[in-house]
Amino acid sequence: MNNLFLTRYLKITCFGLLFLLPFTSHAKRPEFHIEIKKHLFYPAKLTIPANKKIKLVIYNHDDNIEEFDSFDLNREKVVFPHQPAIIFIGPLPAGEYDFFGEYHPHSARGKIVAVKQTSTKQALKEEKHVN
Amino acid sequence: MLINTVLLFLQNALPIFIITTLLLLRFPIKALNTESIKWLVIGLLICIISAFILSNTLENLSQKVDGKGVELFFAVGLLLIYVFSVCLFIFNETNDGSTVKRYLAFIILFVISCLNGAHFIVYLTSYWSQAQQIESMLLGMVLGGGICVSIAILFYFLLKFADRNFYLNTSNYFLLFFAIGQLMHAIVLLQQVDLLSSSHPVWDSSSFIAENSELGQLLTVLFGYETTPSTTQLITYAVAFIIPVIISNSKTMLLSLSGEQT
Repeated sequence: MNNLFLTRYLKITCFGLLFLLPFTSHAKRPEFHIEIKKHLFYPAKLTIPANKKIKLVIYNHDDNIEEFDSFDLNREKVVFPHQPAIIFIGPLPAGEYDFFGEYHPHSARGKIVAVKQTSTKQALKEEKHVN
Repeated sequence: MLINTVLLFLQNALPIFIITTLLLLRFPIKALNTESIKWLVIGLLICIISAFILSNTLENLSQKVDGKGVELFFAVGLLLIYVFSVCLFIFNETNDGSTVKRYLAFIILFVISCLNGAHFIVYLTSYWSQAQQIESMLLGMVLGGGICVSIAILFYFLLKFADRNFYLNTSNYFLLFFAIGQLMHAIVLLQQVDLLSSSHPVWDSSSFIAENSELGQLLTVLFGYETTPSTTQLITYAVAFIIPVIISNSKTMLLSLSGEQT
């Protein structure tokens, strides 16, 4: 293999990866929690603020592995037994986003509801009121 | 359960079958002698054992680096696949250093097999330990395996035909698109752990081709298809395609500039 071209190619690749660095972020994100118990998600409906990236902590209380999966959110994460898993989602436009447990897709189902900032507090109050 | 296993098999095994096809087109096995069979078996055993080791370490890995360990590990593996595949794409025509290219091909196949194999082993062992619907799972594996083999064979002959009759570099460009697909997966993983920022989806094509459909899975493996891509993903896709193509096409010019003969 021609060393000259390989070196040039690797230089360009490194510059390309450096180009991605400005896109990295270390901001503090609002944190939300979901628990897995007996192959069910609790809460099954989670309200989050729209247009904001959030940290989602999923804790698996079961003895079996589960996978948090969502095509709407473009997220996939294996959650090992009795361990937490962390993913970041969003920023999402207002709307509903389905998720499911890949290993128990019939029972483990839920949705994330992204609502605009002004109505988030109202929605959270309503959720608390229902609970 | 049956459909779930088939889809999981497609998701995890199809990339291995597709990359094997693409690499076989580039490094055809002219004769199956004892030596080549020996190396094939050794390579296969290394991949299977490594996938088992990785599947057993995933649980510990998932708790490293503030719960970002698995994503970081997989993203690095997928980036390696992209870089090495682009090496093969750029140095397609040069005949020198074919041994280096073969090593690169083996590393690509090894990394893909380990990453996808480990995920599938986790799924299998989880179901096996629960002793639920094992028959459905085995049937799903047979069906999924059959679909993967069929697609791989069809893909092999289609690309061979296209290389000969339409455009010489068809399979080479498919290798590049496959590599970009792996890069897109790495970008999603890095966004998932907040190491790369993500924006609003630029479009939503899930009503046309859903990502969880069989066609969606195939397009995801072949081209890195995404129903809701972010701006970062789109920019990366364009850059990851354009730069290797420019380097590949300007190779002759660069050679003459550096005073070497083509």
